Amino acid sequence: MGLRFPPKVLEHILSFIDSNEDRNSVSLVCKSWFETERKTRKRVFVGNCYAVSPAAVTRRFPEMRSLTLKGKPHFADYNLVPDGWGGYAWPWIEAMAAKSSSLEEIRMKRMVVTDECLEKIAASFKDFKVLVLTSCEGFSTDGIAAIAATCRNLRVLELRECIVEDLGGDWLSYFPESSTSLVSLDFSCLDSEVKISDLERLVSRSPNLKSLKLNPAVTLDGLVSLLRCAPQLTELGTGSFAAQLKPEAFSKLSEAFSNCKQLQSLSGLWDVLPEYLPALYSVCPGLTSLNLSYATVRMPDLVELLRRCSKLQKLWVMDLIEDKGLEAVASYCKELRELRVFPSEPDLDATNIPLTEQGLVFVSKGCRKLESVLYFCVQFTNAALFTIARKRPNLKCFRLCVIEPFAPDYKTNEPLDKGFKAIAEGCRDLRRLSVSGLLSDKAFKYIGKHAKKVRMLSIAFAGDSDLMLHHLLSGCQSLKKLEIRDCPFGDTALLEHAAKLETMRSLWMSSCFVSFGACKLLSQKMPRLNVEVIDEHPPESRPESSPVERIYIYRTVAGPRMDTPEFVWTIHKNPENGVSHLAIK
Amino acid sequence: MEVSNSCSSFSSSSVDSTKPSPSESSVNLSLSLTFPSTSPQREAKQDWPPIKSRLRDTLKGRRLIRRGNDTSLFVKVYMEGVPIGRKLDLCAFSGYESLLENLSHMFDTSIICGNRDRKHHVLTYEDKDGDWMMVGDIPWDMFLETVRRLKITRPERY
Repeated sequence: MGLRFPPKVLEHILSFIDSNEDRNSVSLVCKSWFETERKTRKRVFVGNCYAVSPAAVTRRFPEMRSLTLKGKPHFADYNLVPDGWGGYAWPWIEAMAAKSSSLEEIRMKRMVVTDECLEKIAASFKDFKVLVLTSCEGFSTDGIAAIAATCRNLRVLELRECIVEDLGGDWLSYFPESSTSLVSLDFSCLDSEVKISDLERLVSRSPNLKSLKLNPAVTLDGLVSLLRCAPQLTELGTGSFAAQLKPEAFSKLSEAFSNCKQLQSLSGLWDVLPEYLPALYSVCPGLTSLNLSYATVRMPDLVELLRRCSKLQKLWVMDLIEDKGLEAVASYCKELRELRVFPSEPDLDATNIPLTEQGLVFVSKGCRKLESVLYFCVQFTNAALFTIARKRPNLKCFRLCVIEPFAPDYKTNEPLDKGFKAIAEGCRDLRRLSVSGLLSDKAFKYIGKHAKKVRMLSIAFAGDSDLMLHHLLSGCQSLKKLEIRDCPFGDTALLEHAAKLETMRSLWMSSCFVSFGACKLLSQKMPRLNVEVIDEHPPESRPESSPVERIYIYRTVAGPRMDTPEFVWTIHKNPENGVSHLAIK
Repeated sequence: MEVSNSCSSFSSSSVDSTKPSPSESSVNLSLSLTFPSTSPQREAKQDWPPIKSRLRDTLKGRRLIRRGNDTSLFVKVYMEGVPIGRKLDLCAFSGYESLLENLSHMFDTSIICGNRDRKHHVLTYEDKDGDWMMVGDIPWDMFLETVRRLKITRPERY
């Protein structure tokens, strides 16, 4: 059959295809489809900034308008990746600026972004619209000022949980008077006070502003005046909610909130006094998302708030909600899809907080649409896991953190193997799973066999031997990201399943028993994997069989990276010489 | 070296079913490697439980829980040698004197601040950096900000 689709027809069809997974499939059909696809892809996603070079990406996608990049491994969020590991944004920004000036959106997660990067973005991309930095670091408020000052059509500026060198609140005044295009502004992670009058003016001249997330330095008074300027907000992150108890202050606040008829999402609420919660009651019926993870509100004030939130879909809260609070959520918040419960006393044994596995069981029973869970709890039971799996087979994300490492089922003293088996078997659509508590190798046999759609798996303090890793790597057909800490195995399973690693984005293992010798072998066996040994001490200073502190293995077409710090050891591959010559940087 | 021996025992027993008893060996190894609260070389940076630094910092800075106009700060109190501890609301006391008085009553023995001697139990506390310190050196308000738990040491025996 010599029929060929004229490129224009294919282009037209492709304009309806947004998902990158689908576009990746399209590009594999044949050369001409590859060419047409690459010339029409506007939104590019790079899940690991070291998997491919900036040059390759900019070359392949000349019409790129939006780039999303991820850098450090996920465990960097919990201080497991030493500072200076890498994830630099500069090479990417430089490459994009050199190629074209039409980039409009940059989203980066866990990357090192400097002021130079931000200045380069501002200077290079004439129609720059969206900057979202999540868990990034390396820049100061000067860099933000550059973006504010220069990007005339800026719509979105979001700094989510970034570590920013805060040189003061002046950056806000750099938005020119002509700037009226803002749709979303999030500076909740900054410490310094901004001038409220500047912020009021900015908000007043931004009719499209829908999302505003303030930092804790903004007071309640400031919040009131801002809400008056922007009653059209759909997402609000308040500043500090602490204030002197004054009746006029309370009624002003209440009134300001009641005018925000479109508010759907509420967060911030630092230091909120329970007496001020009623000011929020008017917006509760419309809320779909509520983040109380910084609010040390206790029972029964929490229930008073939550029972009014009948449309709530997403709830992030501290364990101060207790079992009875979650029981209330189960009966009032029938639309709930996502629940996250954080520990209020992470450094001490939270035995005085009446939050147990029962809380999650209540919600699993009462909230039919529940599909995403993150739950911190001191201990758990298999019975609870059975119930959760049975009631909520539609779970897509289940992350349970039993805070006490190696804690068995506290009622039967058995490992939590059977409970997690029930979850893996019952929740057929599970995409993300984090396990904890006392787990033997058996648990991983079940997970390997049944968790067919799990893409990301996190494990801590679990298992007995290499069998655990063997089970996971020989099963889990959709596995893309595996992160493991403090588990007693390493070499054998890793080497046996080396090929599996190329089907995954990355594998992280810290405080396990992977030896340097195994790392060398693996690296040599698999040319398209970067095997990084992250260790304070040079691996050669110890016997090859002794375990290394951390390893990070990821597939790449870019070869070993050139920007590693002293404590990262990558094994250079030399295909000609094979085994005999292995240079270590 | 301790660690590499354990390593080889694990990798050699990897595929057969006669493995070391599950939790015991895992516990020993992990404790020596990274277990947060028991390792003395633990750096200030904590990595368990897995919560983000921002949340952890916010919680550390906010241990006084306000309930309306009252505040309460419950800390654990242990008597050295006695496995079961007590819990005490430090905000119920006006200062060190009333704290000591109350503790002496609770544990039915005389407790003092100050240097250890043969007769008295001495009160110590763990501060927010994880260090054990003598109670009484800093102003009461500052003490409330930094105290995490209390320990009553036994009188010295020579």
